[in-house]
Amino acid sequence: MIVCPFCGKENTEGSDLCDDCQQSLTDVGLAQELSETERGLVKDRISSLNPNEPLAVSPSATIAEVLRTMVEKRIGCVMVVENDQLEGIFTERDALNKINIDAAERADRPISSVMTSKPVTLQGRDKIAFALHHMNLGGFRHIPILEGDKLTGVISIRDILGYLTDRSNSEQ
Amino acid sequence: MSFHLSLSADTVTAAYPDEPLLVSPEATIREVMQLLRTQKGSSVLVCDDAGIVGIYTERDALGSMNAAAGGQADEMLDRKVTEVMTAKPVSVNTTTTVGDAIKTMSDGGYRNLPMIDEKNQPQGVIAVRGIVHYLVDHFPSTIYNLPPDPRNATSEREGA
Repeated sequence: MIVCPFCGKENTEGSDLCDDCQQSLTDVGLAQELSETERGLVKDRISSLNPNEPLAVSPSATIAEVLRTMVEKRIGCVMVVENDQLEGIFTERDALNKINIDAAERADRPISSVMTSKPVTLQGRDKIAFALHHMNLGGFRHIPILEGDKLTGVISIRDILGYLTDRSNSEQ
Repeated sequence: MSFHLSLSADTVTAAYPDEPLLVSPEATIREVMQLLRTQKGSSVLVCDDAGIVGIYTERDALGSMNAAAGGQADEMLDRKVTEVMTAKPVSVNTTTTVGDAIKTMSDGGYRNLPMIDEKNQPQGVIAVRGIVHYLVDHFPSTIYNLPPDPRNATSEREGA
């Protein structure tokens, strides 16, 4: 939408002339210059965030084992991996939604019964903007990073937040 | 206005605070965990008449589930939330800037900050998800115009 600077009429994107007053809109429709942070988001690759080493478990690991590992290592998500293929992801949110107060009864079931299969993944060469987009849209806090189909890392919402605040501080 | 300016000018009320989930200090872990599930919340605030006394988050729930899976399920679930909550959590007030809230979160490793008024009464919870949403609002043309798949280049110009 382009707001005409002469009469205030809201014209459709790409209009050359204002529908109401017929003044030229060619200068107004030009893209605004992006800030340094915004340029970084579409230029920098996810690999530059140094994705964390993922914690991988096998699909047959029991829920009790996985919960214990997560608590001991103080992490909020594990990757379920078999033969170098990412089968699923299991996060704090999955634990709360699918296990909740039944932890004792489900302790010996395999993690594959409660994991989220086929999570959204990105490649290390993808731009950071995509990670931000998926996290915002899907409400994810972690995104597995692959090279080809091999799992190489995981980035968390904290990495992205750190990236943005570093950028905005240096922009000043 | 630059991105940095708005971070130090906007207050946390612009960062999509969640409605707080409130429970009394008498609540059990079982009740609190079920509340977190049904309300899709990431934290509950434990309050008495004087205001917030503690916070119980998803991370604490993970610890409770681990203990329950380890064998003492009923003892664990029937304990009072006050026994495992984080007492006197770090909080922000309605005039804290978004920049300060982000700094507090990243320095302390918190994902949920209770937002309180002068009387220590809960007004909301600032979650990391709300902060991300607020940040994305600052670059709508960059984020919302992304193609759905980063590697799916159009092979021909449209109409050609």
